[in-house]
Amino acid sequence: MIDFLAAAIRIATPLLFAALGGILSERAGVFAVGLEGMMLMGAFAAVVGAWASDSALIGILLALLGGAAIGLVVALVAVRHRADNMVTGLTANILALGLTSYLLRVLAGGGRPIAIHLSPLAAWRVPVLADLPVIGPLLFVQPPLTYVAALGCVALHLFLRRTQAGLTLRATGENPEAVFASGVEPMRVRLLAVVACGAIAGLGGAVLSLQQVGTFTDGMTGGRGYLALASLIVARWNPLAAAAACLVFGAAEAFELRLQGFGVPVSSYIVQMVPYLIALAVLAGLGRSTKLPAAIGQPLQRDR
Amino acid sequence: MSDPTLQAADEAAGPARRAPLRFRSSEGMATRIVVAVVLSLLCAAALVALSGHSPLAAFGAMIVGAVGSPHQIGVALNRTTPYLLAGSGVAMCFRAGIINIGAEGQIAMGGVGAAAVALAWPSGASELTVVASLLGGAAAGAIWAALATAIHLGRRVHEVLATLLLNFVALLLVQQALAGPLGQFGAGFLQSPEFPKAAWLWRIPDFGAHVGFVIAILAAIGLSVLLWRTPFGFSLRVAGSSRPAAAYAGFSLPAITWGVMLLSGALAGLAGGIEVLGVHHRLIEGFSLGFGFKAVTVALLGALEPLAVAPAALFVGLLEAGSLSMQRQIGVPSALVVVIEGVTMLFILAATVRRA
Repeated sequence: MIDFLAAAIRIATPLLFAALGGILSERAGVFAVGLEGMMLMGAFAAVVGAWASDSALIGILLALLGGAAIGLVVALVAVRHRADNMVTGLTANILALGLTSYLLRVLAGGGRPIAIHLSPLAAWRVPVLADLPVIGPLLFVQPPLTYVAALGCVALHLFLRRTQAGLTLRATGENPEAVFASGVEPMRVRLLAVVACGAIAGLGGAVLSLQQVGTFTDGMTGGRGYLALASLIVARWNPLAAAAACLVFGAAEAFELRLQGFGVPVSSYIVQMVPYLIALAVLAGLGRSTKLPAAIGQPLQRDR
Repeated sequence: MSDPTLQAADEAAGPARRAPLRFRSSEGMATRIVVAVVLSLLCAAALVALSGHSPLAAFGAMIVGAVGSPHQIGVALNRTTPYLLAGSGVAMCFRAGIINIGAEGQIAMGGVGAAAVALAWPSGASELTVVASLLGGAAAGAIWAALATAIHLGRRVHEVLATLLLNFVALLLVQQALAGPLGQFGAGFLQSPEFPKAAWLWRIPDFGAHVGFVIAILAAIGLSVLLWRTPFGFSLRVAGSSRPAAAYAGFSLPAITWGVMLLSGALAGLAGGIEVLGVHHRLIEGFSLGFGFKAVTVALLGALEPLAVAPAALFVGLLEAGSLSMQRQIGVPSALVVVIEGVTMLFILAATVRRA
């Protein structure tokens, strides 16, 4: 049982990072369809950085930068140049997929992708707390980025609810004119929010590549960015609820691995559909009570 | 928006306030697009130089690979076909202000539908086999789009999410079908048995192309006529410009949504069917990977006119057909073309397309 819950937490971690980034972006009024590409670029940069410098920390920093770079592309095209958010995000995902695959082969100097194998990040035992029964091994013997995700979740919650900057960010997603009237340039808020979203989602990518497997493969995010997008909407743009939603998706996937392990005669493909079906069912259940930030996807005026 | 009738009509139209995808102005469009392509090729040249090869040699090999012989041109046209078919369908959705990004799943389901008909067709096959299989593909794509539409209209789920999430379910359904009823036992990887010859899409003699490209061109012309010359096309254009205006004029917004979603789903399904019947002659896992998402970006150019999707789809088709010989002859990884596609579309998005 503890193994199962630990697996759920492990699988939920990259999703949670991406969802947290996406909440920043969408609360500021920009649809976060580009999460997939931001994660992928982060995953790539993390592994290459850690491999080239022999330091996981450099890898993690590069993951932040790589994700932020895709965030910057989305911000420039969708916010600065007011293109459609959804299509811009999708296109940024295509760009990230192509760029990571290409660079992986260029690094090897030939047509074949370079093979990098690092040892996955080791778990950190939190002193004292790790010795608690049941929750000790479950919550306090985790790899480092998992703690960062949990703390980030609380931090984002407090940032949105309790700080002036958080209020400005939320107002930009609801009523940019009011933000402009209060003396803040809403376009700058959105640009910053989308770049920050990229950096955070890039960390999610680093979890996938650096923390979990120690290597990068083409398109290794495999739709997790889109699943994170669904989970943040299911969670109605609330960081704590997003953590819960990601854990549910993580549990669904952990359950699937378990079923395969026990040789239960259920097709793994059907079980893999479960997270997507849960997301659809919850969204359909919320129905019209799902209230998007009022100004989401609406372009801002320039040259006022 | 104080008029209660209008408000109710807008409510019926869908969850979010929406505005159509529009080009900022149609003046100078061609110039902007050419500039976008040139800029992205410059980016690509820089990337090629980074890999230590000559950009000119790489582009040369790509061009020869794409149009060097009738066979190569045929391959490029085959590659263009799914983007043109699915993309022009998605373009119609864009025109109506509906962001349908479900082509990926609809193409995949189209492949399943076509394969199911082709494999189940009784022996003593005739020309009917191909036609029935293509229709099977179109029907499967339309059903998948209908599912998304029902969730969108029935439960007010944003159409982007409904279509997006169903994509992943569809891709898994393809794998499930290949692991189960449609699969070839003992093949080692997920694929169906080869279709009977009668179900293969006709090839144009002495030319690498199958007739799918002709079907795609006819479909794009048909959509253009539908958009500009029919009452449905008119209602769709009005709905795309202003939902309240369309409701006030008495057009049924749910009916428009259903119509345009089923149409684009059927076209995407047809694209999937053509791909399996014309190129692979069997259903293969991942046969459509990335087609649908790229079709959505290709469709952007059709936000103005369905026929405008054709050059964009051809651009992508030529790039992808040429990329393999570039990799073989010069050693530049073929993933470069995916970068070119992404960068070009981003430049075009930044330079031209607006949400009004």
